[in-house]
Amino acid sequence: MLDSAMAALASLADPSLLIMLLIGTVAGLIMGLIPGLGGTGAVAILLPITFGMEPPQALALLIGALAVVHTSDTVSAVLLGAPGSASASVTMLDGYSMAKKGQAARALTLAFLSSMAGGIIGAVGLTLAIPLARPLVLSFASPELFMLTVLGVALAAVLSRGNIIKGISAGLLGLVLGMVGTSPTTAEERFTFGSLFLGDGLSLVAVALGIFGLAEIASRASQRRGQTENITVGGGWGKGIREWLSHWTQVIRGALIGIWAGVLPGVGATAGTWLAYGQAVATAKDKRQFGKGDPRGIVGPESANNSVEAGDLIPTLLFGIPGGVPSAMLLGMLLTYGIQPGPSIITEHLDLMYLIVWSFAIASILGALFCFLSVKQLAKLTKVPFAVLAAGLVAVMLLGSFQEGGQLGDLWVMIILGVFGWLLKSTGFPRAPFLIGFVLAIPLERYYFLTDSLYNGLDWMARPGVLVFLAILILPILWAFIKFIRARRNTNLDDGHRDERPEDDESPLKDSTWSLAAAGIFAAAFAAALISSASFSPEARLVPQLVSIGGLVFSGILLFIEIRTRLRGRTPKAGQTIAEEAEGILATQPAKAGWTLDAKFAFKTFLWMTGFLALTAAFGYLIAVTIFIPAFLLIVARARLKTAVVYTAVLYVVLLALPSLLPIDLPQGWLNTLV
Amino acid sequence: MTVLVAYAPAPEGREALTQGIAEAVLRKADLLVVHVGRGHHGLEAKDLKDIEDRLQAAGQALHLESSVLADPGDAVIQIAQDRNVDMIVIGLRHRSMVGKLILGSTVQRILLDATCPVLAVRADRLN
Repeated sequence: MLDSAMAALASLADPSLLIMLLIGTVAGLIMGLIPGLGGTGAVAILLPITFGMEPPQALALLIGALAVVHTSDTVSAVLLGAPGSASASVTMLDGYSMAKKGQAARALTLAFLSSMAGGIIGAVGLTLAIPLARPLVLSFASPELFMLTVLGVALAAVLSRGNIIKGISAGLLGLVLGMVGTSPTTAEERFTFGSLFLGDGLSLVAVALGIFGLAEIASRASQRRGQTENITVGGGWGKGIREWLSHWTQVIRGALIGIWAGVLPGVGATAGTWLAYGQAVATAKDKRQFGKGDPRGIVGPESANNSVEAGDLIPTLLFGIPGGVPSAMLLGMLLTYGIQPGPSIITEHLDLMYLIVWSFAIASILGALFCFLSVKQLAKLTKVPFAVLAAGLVAVMLLGSFQEGGQLGDLWVMIILGVFGWLLKSTGFPRAPFLIGFVLAIPLERYYFLTDSLYNGLDWMARPGVLVFLAILILPILWAFIKFIRARRNTNLDDGHRDERPEDDESPLKDSTWSLAAAGIFAAAFAAALISSASFSPEARLVPQLVSIGGLVFSGILLFIEIRTRLRGRTPKAGQTIAEEAEGILATQPAKAGWTLDAKFAFKTFLWMTGFLALTAAFGYLIAVTIFIPAFLLIVARARLKTAVVYTAVLYVVLLALPSLLPIDLPQGWLNTLV
Repeated sequence: MTVLVAYAPAPEGREALTQGIAEAVLRKADLLVVHVGRGHHGLEAKDLKDIEDRLQAAGQALHLESSVLADPGDAVIQIAQDRNVDMIVIGLRHRSMVGKLILGSTVQRILLDATCPVLAVRADRLN
């Protein structure tokens, strides 16, 4: 074991690996600064670049980025009070308060060092998990692996924030979407409507970039103005380092909470950081300074959000169930290389495991170092308005999703899923179970049929491993049910809230016509899947039918709840006090909000993306970029003409040079095929 | 002087509020109400006006405050420490050992973490 660990470290001396790790780290730091991208965006954008590479190089690049995304996302949270990712909003509470007092350098030192330590402790946790889980993993056979995939989707659905019914519906729809293409058992085509393009299944990059990337751009593109406040970083780095050392227990505690949050599927970096913050507050005797610049409010959460990403990798690599969205994509990548996580990665690819560990640790150190060296420049980048960044991001994301299959169809899928992702985000559906379901759909089916053919009837259910997983599957559902009952009876007032986060305003269109529409789309999609699966052969039909029947049940409940709240909102009960009535009006108001300003803007942005894609289809990518970028910058972002010209020129040159530097193809248009 | 009441829309919370008002009048202290329930359903405007009138008759003032902290127990402690209150009034509810173990208890945390005297009342007293 130690041998393979050392061998992996030695292999990192290979210049090509080291360069990839460096590129990944720098790219991850930059993407951490861009609001809304986070680990998901970083992996999704970098994944296409890795398609032509060997697995070690690809992993070094992706892990390098993943390890440091949460190091740089702190910069804008501390300096501007505008977090670069949802998990950095925790650091904002105390970090921004410190910055306002002129102690930005102190806050940033604490944050960078904690991020670094969190990453290293996370990597250590990953290392220790390998020998601990090894005997367990090696005892797994197909029934256990089948249960694990079910568990992966189910836990992600139950544990991710928001409504459980919404989570389960999203997870099931992800499973259905993942089954589009060729059935793993009978090799017949499912849900393809005779299309050759859909026969290969949907591309993971297109789905991830659509559901998360484009949706995020659409909901943020209305931010035209950047921060105008003057940024003063100030001094006091040395003092910060000494202060950080005095909080070492908080660092370790935060990192351990982060690892645990990472191991649980669906509990991502955001929930992990809030847990760490709650822990820091709970263990402090003097709570006065929290929210006003308490160093303990920065150290623990910052350490946690980096170790979450390492914790995510533990179930991903050892059990094949992704702990979060970025690792779900990593899992997808490993599968395309033919590397099966779970038993086979431990026996055959142990060197890759240790390469991941080392890359994670080294990238964490490099990331913190780069942040210290370049914090002034990074601070400037946070001043760029999001709308200006959005133009380039759209171009990059579309190019990225073209790389997997080289088909324009993937890009259309991506935009459609972008609209759907935006709908999910704004109506309070968790998107993580959707993507995890999408990734696990095929493994789930394959393991089921393996199990079914190896065992008589339901004998496999009696295997001890399976029974344990069944228990793990049922407990959280039971738990959530008890909590729901207590909330209904209003007997939960005294229950602890430490595991909960403050209400966020991320889903402004909850309980409106929009969420009714979303529930309707879910129900319709499941119904359509059920009907069209009737024509499949019995073997290919089983899993899609089960999933869509389950989906119909849950989306039916959702639809019922939505309709009921809509009806209730309209008829105020008699005998209400004025205040209650006023509250009732306030509560129903969002329900009446059809086309809110944000919704209009989001749809306009999607129209722009569609236009861009139409241009690409007609004239090719390069021409489309030269038209789309300046138009978007001038009309939507309202940037200055000079900015638009320079921006377009730089992007054009980069795109022209890119195919010769990296294995990247630019989409050709209808015009190019004529010429 | 300030008395802090941890209010929640339930019998215990209302009892705590009643006792808190009595205590504030007795001690000639201001009353600080912190809402600890989930959601934003605080006190209604009419009730607040009533309380304010009663306190004003005794020459005291009513304050409302909330905290950035997510856990209501932590929030109460933070506000109490921040405002340097003289007493926290909370309403108790009977909870089983298992219930407290599994679900946690906000009241228990306030009792254990508070750095000032705590007055605990229950809604179902013997008459």
